[in-house]
Amino acid sequence: MHELGLSRNIVSIVSENAGDRPVARVRVAIGPLACVETRALQFCWDIVTEDTSLSGATLEIVEADADTFLIKEFEFGEIA
Amino acid sequence: MCGTCGCSDPANDVKMVDPETGKETLIRQGGLLHDHDHHHGHDHGHEHGHAHSHDHHHPHEGDDKPHAHGPNGEIISLEQAVLSKNDSIAARNRGWFEGRGVLALNLVSSPGAGKTTLLERTIAEMAGERPIYVIEGDQMTTNDAERIRAAGARAIQINTGAGCHLEADMIADAVATLDPEPGALLLIENVGNLVCPSMFDLGEHMKVAVISTTEGEDKPLKYPHMFRAAGLVIINKIDLAPHVDFDEDLCRRNIAEVNGTARILSLSARTSEGMDNWLGFLDGAVVGRR
Repeated sequence: MHELGLSRNIVSIVSENAGDRPVARVRVAIGPLACVETRALQFCWDIVTEDTSLSGATLEIVEADADTFLIKEFEFGEIA
Repeated sequence: MCGTCGCSDPANDVKMVDPETGKETLIRQGGLLHDHDHHHGHDHGHEHGHAHSHDHHHPHEGDDKPHAHGPNGEIISLEQAVLSKNDSIAARNRGWFEGRGVLALNLVSSPGAGKTTLLERTIAEMAGERPIYVIEGDQMTTNDAERIRAAGARAIQINTGAGCHLEADMIADAVATLDPEPGALLLIENVGNLVCPSMFDLGEHMKVAVISTTEGEDKPLKYPHMFRAAGLVIINKIDLAPHVDFDEDLCRRNIAEVNGTARILSLSARTSEGMDNWLGFLDGAVVGRR
């Protein structure tokens, strides 16, 4: 229902940790009780990452327990 | 997606209104990315600075985060909760409430369940016994804060604009203005919505879910997350039960099915029937670690 706001949180946290380096992939763990609609999260990902260091990064979602809603890791893109 | 409720709309301004003075304060500015920047500058000053120093030393040292190499590049393990920012502000709020002995309750329900009427009645019945402060969350209007003020308590209205729930930083801003005295009761009336508010910790002692007899007995089954998050469920408008064929026992069983530990109280904020139990609960609630 508020996945746009949640994906903005993800982008904000990853950007803070990545600095200006391009990010290729972000892996997020979501549990069945987290109240997060994964399709909606994927749907707004491109819009939210546009013009950020996460632009073009893929969002990978892994299943987790209970109400888990964690950013597991992110991967830097290759520096050209 | 968010078209369902309109929350997180790009044009989402959040403002705080003090009905006493009429003063309006913008606590979050709209704009998809603009809001992003503003938010950081506004209440995460430290983290912002931290991110900068991070930028400078991180790229090749990578000494402060575990990392490995993937097919593209370095993999940084974060293991950070997506709502960690909200949660850390909530924890700060909670510590502040505990330090002052302020009992903060987060009232959640669908729109029209009778939260504001319950607050008005509570303020009237507790008059002179304990100071009460109210934070009102609604998308628009200061109607509810005006009602609370008329009932005799200090109130702050937060208008979330397109937003569908209150977040911890909004409570921190409102509490800074309200400045509740030690031992007070702080009642937070969340935006009428049985979905999103369940995810956002405000630093409250407990979430109190209000369901009214006109909504039907199966609300707890339809919106289990909210009822699971509540420590107390109030069945309001119990005076109307016979007129709307409301089966209280069935409703209680449904609540127990999604949340076996929640306390359940039936009352009518309009007629005062059952209000004693709620007032007794407020008297007996001890502020401290959950």
